[in-house]
Amino acid sequence: MGVGKSCLLHQFTEKKFMADCPHTIGVEFGTRIIEVSGQKIKLQIWDTAGQERFRAVTRSYYRGAAGALMVYDITRRSTYNHLSSWLTDARNLTNPNTVIFLIGNKSDLEAQRDVTYEEAKQFADENGLMFLECSAKTGDNVEDAFLDTAKKIYQNIQDGSLDLNAAESGVQHKPAQPRTPLNTDQQPSKEGCQC
Amino acid sequence: MLEALKALSTFFNENSLRTRRNLRSDIERRSLAINEEFLSTFQVVKDQLDSVYSDVKAMSDCCQDMTSRLKAAKVQTHDLINQTTSLHGESQKLQMKQQVADAFLDRFQLKPEEIKSLRGAKSGSLSQDFFQSLARVKQIHTDCKILLRTNHQTAGLEIMESMALHQESAYERLYRWAQNECRTLTSESPEVSPILCQAMLALQDRPVLFKYTLDEFGTARRTAVVRGMIDALTRGGPGGTPRPIELHSHDPLRYVGDMLAWLHQATASEKEYLSTLLKRCETTNETIQDTLGHISEGVCRPFKVRVEQVLVSEQDAVTLYMLNNLLKFYHHTIQQIISPAAALLETITEIQDLSHRMFFNSLTCHANKLLDKVELPPADLGPTASLVQTLALLKDVLQCHDSSVVTLENKKQDFKQILSCVLDPLLQMCSVSASRLNTADMASYMVNCIYQMQSTIALYEFTDTKQEMLQAQVEAHVDTLVNEQAAFVLSRVDLAHIYSTIQQHQPKLGPLANLPGMDPITVKSAMNKFDSYLASPDSLTLSQCSLITSSKNRELIKKNSSELICQSYRQMYTAVCDPQNEYREWTSIVPRTPDQVLALLM
Repeated sequence: MGVGKSCLLHQFTEKKFMADCPHTIGVEFGTRIIEVSGQKIKLQIWDTAGQERFRAVTRSYYRGAAGALMVYDITRRSTYNHLSSWLTDARNLTNPNTVIFLIGNKSDLEAQRDVTYEEAKQFADENGLMFLECSAKTGDNVEDAFLDTAKKIYQNIQDGSLDLNAAESGVQHKPAQPRTPLNTDQQPSKEGCQC
Repeated sequence: MLEALKALSTFFNENSLRTRRNLRSDIERRSLAINEEFLSTFQVVKDQLDSVYSDVKAMSDCCQDMTSRLKAAKVQTHDLINQTTSLHGESQKLQMKQQVADAFLDRFQLKPEEIKSLRGAKSGSLSQDFFQSLARVKQIHTDCKILLRTNHQTAGLEIMESMALHQESAYERLYRWAQNECRTLTSESPEVSPILCQAMLALQDRPVLFKYTLDEFGTARRTAVVRGMIDALTRGGPGGTPRPIELHSHDPLRYVGDMLAWLHQATASEKEYLSTLLKRCETTNETIQDTLGHISEGVCRPFKVRVEQVLVSEQDAVTLYMLNNLLKFYHHTIQQIISPAAALLETITEIQDLSHRMFFNSLTCHANKLLDKVELPPADLGPTASLVQTLALLKDVLQCHDSSVVTLENKKQDFKQILSCVLDPLLQMCSVSASRLNTADMASYMVNCIYQMQSTIALYEFTDTKQEMLQAQVEAHVDTLVNEQAAFVLSRVDLAHIYSTIQQHQPKLGPLANLPGMDPITVKSAMNKFDSYLASPDSLTLSQCSLITSSKNRELIKKNSSELICQSYRQMYTAVCDPQNEYREWTSIVPRTPDQVLALLM
């Protein structure tokens, strides 16, 4: 069982909950056009596999990302514990101004909660991440998580701190391979053409 | 006086005394004679008058008598005349009545020959008279309603009753006749006689009988169509041409196509026959469609069984897809003849669904095989044989879609599903097989594989979404390669450590030249190596980058990685030139300006 990245994406693009979602192999792709400050923006969202064996493949997708959503499962502390290693990976491979959003998924399973909201909020604040708890099953907060990310990216572009056309922030060196948990991962959301 | 003197002069000739004395007597005598003469003359007249009188009297008597006799007669005949007059009047009235009665009978009763024509000949055949009589019966029946509104209710009711009886028996006869007639219409192309059309028109007044007759027609035609189809399948046309359809059963497309074409023709002609039969009737479309549905229902089973057999035994995805398109086309075509609710169209829809399922089954099966047995990437990092082969299959499928005639919307829907069904597992397969490679190999391999997919689907419509997705994937991996290439160059010329130190350097750590591994000599030797790299930039191209099949992507990587290297050089150059970092002979360490480097590399 995963933390629910594919389900989040499916909920966001199709507005439906996908039960029995198989493990993602490599990457999946989704798009949706949203409106931010009166501008139509097309979000290209890559849903990357959480499994270790696809790390090499999925890393390629971080590079051009304007934003990343990092997901853990609030009912399993192990997934939360792996966040810092994923964060290192994300920071190493992305632009310093890439928006990173922390998502605690499965908020509908309140009874089985293993990670408190406050704890995760503190972690997010310490690392300068945006944070929301949401549920791919009920759809609660899913829309907000993606829209807030998009808004932040848009804001970064507007104030010039993020330039999607510039080359990456220099040559990136292979980071020390972080230990990767099975079930935490990012969904880099790459901003596509504005239409 | 003069007269008297003249008369005197005639007899008084001598004027003498005697004469004068005699004159008196003479005159008296003369007067006497004249009187006597008068008397005798009048005596005759009197006699004559007397006789006249007696005559007249007799006449008068006679008249009197006659008058009295007439009077008597008149008295006697008066009654008679009265009687005659009254009789005359009566006769006139009666005559009028007779006329009315005749007109009434004419209007409200059947003539014997009409009754005869209604009862019909023993042979049971129907003639034009029958329909005329039937129309009369009907007319009378309706006219009776007017009668009922007047005082003649009894008559009206009686006539109505008798007409109803006539009508019933006539309709019964008509129904039997039409039923029999329909029963005989089982030849391949039946002749619908005009009289049968008229019979159908007449039967319309009895909806139940009309329906039964139509049912009889439907059943007869249904049998005929089934027999026709079996004949076409097994015996072919008359004299063996066209050849039996089943002769082509080894060729699924031809076999199914021929059957569908036959069905199309058959339904079209059946509709024709039916509309000929009902040409004089005002039937609703629904009635026609119901009957047509009934007629075409019989062939559903033999057709379905055969096509299912073909579909189930067919393995090839392309053929299955062509069959699917063929069924869609004929569904669309036949739909213009009969209503979609008809059993035949439902059967075609069912088979079409089956073919759709079988087609995607075949594709999925193929895809699953790919994932079950993932090939290792070849040494040249190009697409694997299974990828190439699957893409060829996809191409064939998309190609035959190109030539098909289904609607655009339908096509779009299909395309989406086909592309997902093939490309998604292919991408997964690539990801799985790439997962064991190092970063540069992986990126190069993925770029090559995805490029192969891109170029396959680029020719077809409705692939935009997938194209976009593939392009984004290529870009991601190209970026990775760019980074790998730049990092490779920097580490080969020993600048990697220097560059990362400069990147992380902060003024509080002191001048750069004092940090370990950053002394002017080390930096200078590295920069010398970099300089020799600038002399022949291609010498340090990653083997993975030269293995990229698409020259466009290869160029892109070269350009972007050169830019990246220039950018990092600029950063190092700025740091070395910065007096705070205490490189005294910085001009000899970094002899080239960033712009020069850019010019050399680009």
